[in-house]
Amino acid sequence: MDTLLPIEADPTRLASLAARGRRPEFTDDPMLDRLYSVALVLTAELAITRLRLDAVERMLGRGDDVSRATVDEFKPEPHEAAERARLQREYLDRVFRALTAEGQRKAG
Amino acid sequence: MTPASWYQVGRHALLPEAGHDDVARFDVIAQLNTLLADRLAPAVRATYEQVAAPAWEAKHGRAPANRKEVAEALAHQPAYRAWSLVRRNTMEYRQHTGRALALRQMRKLRDRAREFNDGADTLHLDPQLDIPKYVASVDTHLMPGGYACEVVDGDVCNAASYDSGLFATLGGAGGPWNDAAGRALVAWLARHAPDFSPRTIVDLGCGLGHNTLPLRCAFPSARVVAIDVAAPFLRYGHARARSLGIDDLEFRQEDATHTSLPSGSCDLVFTTMVLHETSHDALRKILSEAKRLLAPGGLTIHLEQPPYRQFDAYEQFMRDWDGRYNNEPFWSALHETDVPSLLRSTGFEAANVFETRCSAPLVRERTQAEGAVVEDFGRAPSWYAIGAWQTAHGNVVKGEYGHGHTPADRS
Repeated sequence: MDTLLPIEADPTRLASLAARGRRPEFTDDPMLDRLYSVALVLTAELAITRLRLDAVERMLGRGDDVSRATVDEFKPEPHEAAERARLQREYLDRVFRALTAEGQRKAG
Repeated sequence: MTPASWYQVGRHALLPEAGHDDVARFDVIAQLNTLLADRLAPAVRATYEQVAAPAWEAKHGRAPANRKEVAEALAHQPAYRAWSLVRRNTMEYRQHTGRALALRQMRKLRDRAREFNDGADTLHLDPQLDIPKYVASVDTHLMPGGYACEVVDGDVCNAASYDSGLFATLGGAGGPWNDAAGRALVAWLARHAPDFSPRTIVDLGCGLGHNTLPLRCAFPSARVVAIDVAAPFLRYGHARARSLGIDDLEFRQEDATHTSLPSGSCDLVFTTMVLHETSHDALRKILSEAKRLLAPGGLTIHLEQPPYRQFDAYEQFMRDWDGRYNNEPFWSALHETDVPSLLRSTGFEAANVFETRCSAPLVRERTQAEGAVVEDFGRAPSWYAIGAWQTAHGNVVKGEYGHGHTPADRS
């Protein structure tokens, strides 16, 4: 018989457990820190959605059978991986421009 | 430069099954780490040099001289806060991603590990072992539950998450098998001790053994023992090694401060990125245990991040971020500890103690790129190392032993 934590039945809840220890705050408003956390994950999750769309487009372009299962098995060719990485990088640069532009301006 | 993709991770039977979005999530995390290293961190430096340090100097009549003063200068700077927010949240997201992937297949992974582990005489677990407080009570690098927690009997989840996510954390710099530290040690031995042929090799604090495997491959006739306190990592690591065709690597659940191995029975006793995760008390004991285990002519060597004394105040402050905000409570103290002095205090001859650098040969398939890897404050495939040779004849020192060289009387 397995010994289970009470919430084992729900792996999603288990995965969402926070690490022990004080969570640091980097702004002067705790809600702003939380908003930042949400924004970062939303940014990443949208990137993932965009990559999935990219996978579907490439599969349709090849005339592949497109289903949830075949998209999950999609593996880009090296040149496609490079294009997908560039797409992500440009996307992240756009989203985080407000944070990086500061350093460039000062460094410039 | 094309960043590494999780599609390049080395496949073995224990690796969690990942769909498109799981892979993409890890790849975005790797990209966020790249953004941190080559966009956000330079913005912090520019702000420090051009705004924060001059402002602090105007107030105090001199430049910031230590980490604490750099912290005062930078604490309210938007560039520093932004870098910290992205870094902390990327790490939390990485943990969530790896754990969600492993937890949703926890039984399948557990059962797969059992297929390799049940009945094997190379996996020795000790359910009675006292897990040291510095492991049991710390969720190191924000890993919920820490190394030793078990969600189900025979659990391997946090190990599977660790193995899956490390590639993204390192941006692929560890290579497909995340074994760059082990390969770096092998390369160091080949260069600095080409005649050294250890018959018994021990990895203290092996985790899932990803850095033990290169030693096993470099010295195929040696007995190789991987020791850790965390059963989930040993189960996972043992099964992982077996699934890769390595069936003579021993995994033992023991405390590295007092192992069951006989005194003088080992030729090479090493650690990789372990010392900064131990308490100061355990650090001394682990180094003493390594000394006890070594046979005449044996070597102990420990791969780590460099000590702070090598860096200016700004670099120290940035490198200390993990100690402040990544649940690495022993990080700062270790990097201020004179480990060579500790090694001497365990009984090694002063002339046999050395500091060196171990670098992994670049893994070509990592990217199609040429050129240097951007170092994200310590997350690069190159390590500071502290080591000591056991003299060949008791404690009698003969000859001139230097940095990174083998003792003249070792034969």
